Amino acid sequence: MNERVQPVYLEEKLEEIRADGHLEYRSKSLPTWCPGCGYFSMVEGLTTALKRLEIDSKDTVVVSGIGCASRFPFFVNTYGFHTLHGRVLPVATGVKIGNDALTVVAVGGDGDAFAIGGGHIPHAARRNVNLTYLVFDNGIYGLTKGQTSPTSALGFKTSSTPYENRDAPLHPLMMLLSYGASWVGQAYAGRQHHLADMITQAVSHQGFSFLRVLSPCVTFDKTNNTYANLNTTVRDLPDDHDNSNLMAAMNQASRDDHPALGLYYKEDRETLEQVMKATASRSVKTGTGRADKQ
Amino acid sequence: MTTTPHYVIIGSGSAGFGAAKTLRTGDADCRITMVTMDSLPFYNRYNLPQVFHGRHDWRDLMDVPPAQYAELGIELRRRSRVVDVDGAQRFVSLAHQEHVAYDRLLVCAGGRGYLPENLTEYFGLMHGFGSFEAAMRLHKDLPKGGTAIMIGGDMTGIDLAMTLLETGYNVTLITTSQTFWPHRVTTQERDRLLAALEAAGMKVLKDTRAVGVSRENSGKPAACVTLEDGTEVRGDVVMPFCGLASSVEFMLRADVDIERGLLVTPELHTSNETIWAAGDVCQIWHDQEKAYKFFHGWKNVRVMGELAARNMLGANEIFDVNIEDRIDVDADGKISSTFWIH
Amino acid sequence: MIKSNDTDIQIAICGSAGDGTIASGDIMKRAAAAMGFNVIAFDVYPPEIRGFGKCISRIRISSKQTYSLKQESDVLVSLNDSHAIPHAAEVRDFGVVIYDDNLVARVAEGGHISAHIDAAQIPYGFSIRQISEQATNSSRSRNVVILGCLAGLFDLSAENFHDIIAKKFATKAQSVIDDNTKAFDAGLKAGRTVFRLDDIKVRAGKIKSNGAEAVMMTGNGAVVRGFLESEIESYFGYPITPATSIMERLAVEMPPRGGKFLQTEDEISAIAATIGAAYTGSRAATATSGPGLALMAEMIGLGVMAEVPSVVVVSQRGGPSTGLPTKTEQSDLNLAVFGGSGDAQRIVLAPTNVEGCYRCAGMAFDIAEIYQTPVILLIDLYLSNRYETVVPADAGTYTPKPRPQINLEGGENYKRFEMTKNHISPRALPGQPGLMYTATGLEHNEQGRPNDDAHMDMSIKRHEKLKGAVHYPGLNVSKRFGDKGKVDVGILGWGSTFGEILETMYQAQAEGISCSAMKVVMLSPLPLQSIEDFFDDCREVLIPELNYEGQFAGLVCGALGRPVTRLSRATGSPMVVREILDEVRRLSGREPAPVQAVGAMGARS
Repeated sequence: MNERVQPVYLEEKLEEIRADGHLEYRSKSLPTWCPGCGYFSMVEGLTTALKRLEIDSKDTVVVSGIGCASRFPFFVNTYGFHTLHGRVLPVATGVKIGNDALTVVAVGGDGDAFAIGGGHIPHAARRNVNLTYLVFDNGIYGLTKGQTSPTSALGFKTSSTPYENRDAPLHPLMMLLSYGASWVGQAYAGRQHHLADMITQAVSHQGFSFLRVLSPCVTFDKTNNTYANLNTTVRDLPDDHDNSNLMAAMNQASRDDHPALGLYYKEDRETLEQVMKATASRSVKTGTGRADKQ
Repeated sequence: MTTTPHYVIIGSGSAGFGAAKTLRTGDADCRITMVTMDSLPFYNRYNLPQVFHGRHDWRDLMDVPPAQYAELGIELRRRSRVVDVDGAQRFVSLAHQEHVAYDRLLVCAGGRGYLPENLTEYFGLMHGFGSFEAAMRLHKDLPKGGTAIMIGGDMTGIDLAMTLLETGYNVTLITTSQTFWPHRVTTQERDRLLAALEAAGMKVLKDTRAVGVSRENSGKPAACVTLEDGTEVRGDVVMPFCGLASSVEFMLRADVDIERGLLVTPELHTSNETIWAAGDVCQIWHDQEKAYKFFHGWKNVRVMGELAARNMLGANEIFDVNIEDRIDVDADGKISSTFWIH
Repeated sequence: MIKSNDTDIQIAICGSAGDGTIASGDIMKRAAAAMGFNVIAFDVYPPEIRGFGKCISRIRISSKQTYSLKQESDVLVSLNDSHAIPHAAEVRDFGVVIYDDNLVARVAEGGHISAHIDAAQIPYGFSIRQISEQATNSSRSRNVVILGCLAGLFDLSAENFHDIIAKKFATKAQSVIDDNTKAFDAGLKAGRTVFRLDDIKVRAGKIKSNGAEAVMMTGNGAVVRGFLESEIESYFGYPITPATSIMERLAVEMPPRGGKFLQTEDEISAIAATIGAAYTGSRAATATSGPGLALMAEMIGLGVMAEVPSVVVVSQRGGPSTGLPTKTEQSDLNLAVFGGSGDAQRIVLAPTNVEGCYRCAGMAFDIAEIYQTPVILLIDLYLSNRYETVVPADAGTYTPKPRPQINLEGGENYKRFEMTKNHISPRALPGQPGLMYTATGLEHNEQGRPNDDAHMDMSIKRHEKLKGAVHYPGLNVSKRFGDKGKVDVGILGWGSTFGEILETMYQAQAEGISCSAMKVVMLSPLPLQSIEDFFDDCREVLIPELNYEGQFAGLVCGALGRPVTRLSRATGSPMVVREILDEVRRLSGREPAPVQAVGAMGARS
């Protein structure tokens, strides 16, 4: 719990990664994030997960939108698609449908996900596309230098809310649970090993997995989601939490003041790829196809 | 009557079309509707024998282009059968379930070929010649060099017969009292005329009567007319030419006086205030003879249509019976008739 | 070109939605195609989904290639007089109006179509309802009775009608086929008894082509067929008129072929998923209309920047905004060619007829893959919904070419956006070892790494690589018709309007005007050389198009800087041949006397 994270610098980090044996997943490009950014931990977390799951980097596609977090594909040595603001999920859905042998990981921040991209999340979730969506939620727009986001806390003063934010923040976990996501979890950038475990589980889930990673913006948020604050407020899900119980998951997800880490909900459900295969075999049987019928 | 009166004309022949033109000349604003059973716009039926001179496109028979109806503002209702005229409520009922209201009505429905009573049951086996369609059917059914048997031989039939003879067909004529109708000829005149026809190549059967018609599909020629003595006359088609019977059956509830035709004053006014009649459909009061008389022939018909139209517009003209009614045969044996257009 | 002894008749069937009007037209056009005629057909539906709005099915049946519907129909069939009356005037002189002359209920004065038939038109009344009731104990077969009447009148092969009726109702009970056949035969008998007074000539059809049987399809159906024959693998769509039927058809056709079909939550998602799938090497497409294209513009820009091949069908309708959803227009040219941010040239193909839809759709994936860029197939409602007979291509014509193999040696040196001689770079697909790269919408260097300094070089690359597309084999990106060499008037056109343009050109030639027409199928990049040559040969150049601003004229003027005469019409309806012809006459510098139709006595006022 008190795994205090210090700003990380390249030389020592590179040594550490080499020692871990997942350098092959790392890009030659250096992350451009601010020193101390919570996002460094997601590179670490995903490469660890891929290594553990023995997924070849050539068979992995990391898709992102626009934002600080969306620079991610450049910093891993997999196939990557850095797309448009808010469109990570539809592109990732297309990638998975285009070649379902690929492991598809969609990444982005809270603005990319819940503001401009909010309309796509329910549909990726309800279709149960077999991909993993990692949302690094720092409650601020970093790339454009500090405007309010849909998960910014009430009262937060940002460059676009100089008289403080009065828009109620969204509850991403409750949203995803009600959208029908078949795997919903939460992690914290300040607890790197737990984060890597959660990403590993999310990637290995058959279906749409959503992992929210609480992640401080060390540059534009000195008051709310700081390491200092989160270190004291986050908690683990209770030991007896039943992650097959949707209402129990909802109940835990509603506790904004003390965000719980862990797997909230998991369900085995037919994925979009499975649905398409079933439709294909059914359509062959009924055989209604005729190209010139128009 | 509304400010722009609606004139309805039943019939689209010479009388009807002449009347419509006259109405338009006299009243630029009035509404004119012409109702006809015909499928074609106005053409001169007296020209129909031209079909045997190779004029097979009906447009070649037209004196006026169809566009003239639009130019004259005539609403033309073709293939429209009048089933009834309500002379009190002033509307015309059409067979396809439409009522057309009128302010003033002109009936020039003409007549259909008359058939002697003993032959009516053979109607379906005979060919008519009252329309372009009928003329074309005849042309199709009459083989080249074939024989047409004519019963009667009114002036329409004689006209056709002359054309047929000129174009290489044969004609057998079985005379009746209607031969040379509508001309009334003396016995001597009649014999002279029949002799001229025989000289022109026609086979004429006098002093006998057709009592039956039959058709056989095997063997040629197909048509056969049985005479009262039991002999059979063979040909390719049988055509009755026994004058006209006025088409008046739809006028029975129109509140007008009817005998064989619609009875009209010399002004061509019927007994109904808003109904006039012209052409072969009407019998005109003849003051000297104290009788209602028919006046046939294209010249009479055309004059009647125009005159009725002028009277409908408010004039008070009287039909002048001084139009010549004459049939003649010249030194070369060529027959001429005021009935004919040529 | 149609000569006087060729068959070329246009039949318009008009009724209300409940009369089976469109079904009747459907049987008519299929039967005509089976007889070997060329068929062009276009149905007009009421904008309402339910109710008894007006439907018109127009079918042009010809023994020669034709290019558009005719302005005037030869035959109008009324299944509902109140709907058909306004269309009586579209029947040419000495053409035919067929109607029911034995109504059950009384109509108001003037409510029967016989009151509206011009003196030069030929009325043929039939007891349509009664014939239907006597044949099938129901008045519901009126729409098939009239087909029998037409077949009887014009001596069309009853066998072909019987065959199409059997096929059309194959999934229904046998009694449905029997009743419709009886209704047809009863109409046939009635039609044969009519003494014809019209001057319509129908000669037996002749199967054109290489022996392949011509197939009837709509523009949208042709797009679908082209996609299927070129082995489309993924499709993402969102419903929008008039593109929806592409989606609906592919939803049926793709699963049995192992294709992936998905209806997305919006057009942004549709194009995003298309580009996502295409990024993996899947042959992916979407289809939309103008409003959807506006939403897709940003993502198409990503496709240009990241050099991802994809195919976007755009069927235009009246705009801007929601505009005229059920009317045709050509006003999305600017959006298709230029839409989006930055210098984002893409390939835009605008076929001019249904066969063109088939060919362009069949080639679109290959073109997109070769040039690694989005290809927009720009059609319109008139093309989407109209039927034409098309001869299918030989099997394999449109199947994928072997994808370019990338040298897998030395992954370290792999440059996804390498500067090459033809500006086209080797494209790696996910799953290929050692070639991992990140595609991005950011400006990037040859390796694909974000890099602002590469902007000029990469802009050159992205534009230069497309230049060869105008020479893509088998695709006539431009084609000239009519008089060769120097001419007085040249008509330059694109899209569905070109049918009317060709018809106009042939009429102008018949009047003795020296005239040429050129279609431009590739709107981006423009085949500038051939357009320039056309301008050099034409004293006057006329550009008719269906939009208010003259967007194609603007495109051509912008590219060539030469004067044109614009004929820009935003009416929601297809171009009117007469209007183009008047303009051609004016530009030719003389007012030739109108040529009389064969046998016609004079023009109707």
